[in-house]
Amino acid sequence: MRRLNLKTAVARYDYNPSAWSQRVPICILAAVATIIAAYMALYQWRLVDSVWDPVFGDGTETVLDSKVAQTMDRWIGIPDAAFGAIAYLGDAVLGMAGSTRRWQFRPWIVILFGIDVIPLGIVSTVLVVLQGAVVGEWCFLCLVTAAISLILAYWAFDEVYVSLKYLYYVWKKTHRTATVWDAFRGYVTEAGLAAGDELVSEAR
Amino acid sequence: MWARIVECMLGIWMLISPFIFRHPTSATAMWACDWIAGACLIVFSLASYWAPTRWGHWWLLLVGTAMLAFGRASASPPLHPGLQNDIFVGICVILIALVPNCASQPPQQWREYCGLKE
Repeated sequence: MRRLNLKTAVARYDYNPSAWSQRVPICILAAVATIIAAYMALYQWRLVDSVWDPVFGDGTETVLDSKVAQTMDRWIGIPDAAFGAIAYLGDAVLGMAGSTRRWQFRPWIVILFGIDVIPLGIVSTVLVVLQGAVVGEWCFLCLVTAAISLILAYWAFDEVYVSLKYLYYVWKKTHRTATVWDAFRGYVTEAGLAAGDELVSEAR
Repeated sequence: MWARIVECMLGIWMLISPFIFRHPTSATAMWACDWIAGACLIVFSLASYWAPTRWGHWWLLLVGTAMLAFGRASASPPLHPGLQNDIFVGICVILIALVPNCASQPPQQWREYCGLKE
């Protein structure tokens, strides 16, 4: 039996990217974005009559009622802002799940979290900017959530990087897909232990 | 086990949804969907507390997918609020069901390996 340090720094960082101090700020910011997106969804559902926009006046309402937004509603079935709220909620929920060594113990959560935060965050930011350019009106709260997406992607990167590198090391040691799959779903493997040690030894 | 508690609460929400969203009495499928989904949410989330059925929450991925599919496919948009509720809660269920039991702890295999206490 070996003791594994749950708090150790790892791979080119001088801190542990899975530490609560790293993850909780991500979850809080994602929760803020969830609330903002949910507020815009309330307008699209007409549960509130108007939307607060200190910069562009009724720009937010124009964007939220635009053809683009309506087309997206028809695809998804619910207002696009509600869908955005779920995506940010996903960032917060997947950010909370797992121990402080989840980069090794549960890579699948870190990678799902990474997919939700990084590619989805960047795509949604691009969509927000495009919407402003296509509709010709800007939406202050959409821009706020887009900025939050980019910050979240930047903050989440270190942990996702470490988890991917862990899986890469497992692959390098075994060249067996089955072992990488076991490491991905969080099983204890010899190669996984060695890969974890190697990553910890790379810490600055 | 916070994820299981959230699922249980979502289950209660689905049981009362037909009254909140005023499902038409003729729309039997909508009533059935919400009540079956609500019952499944409560049963599978609570089952996850018992060691032999601790995998119960994984079944909720199917339940969430079914809710999403039912809400999206049973009419063409704009959808009845009840169906939008199925889509919205369905996606949330898929999300929450992914969260392991005792998620803040290392998984059981690693706990045993490292000699960590529960």
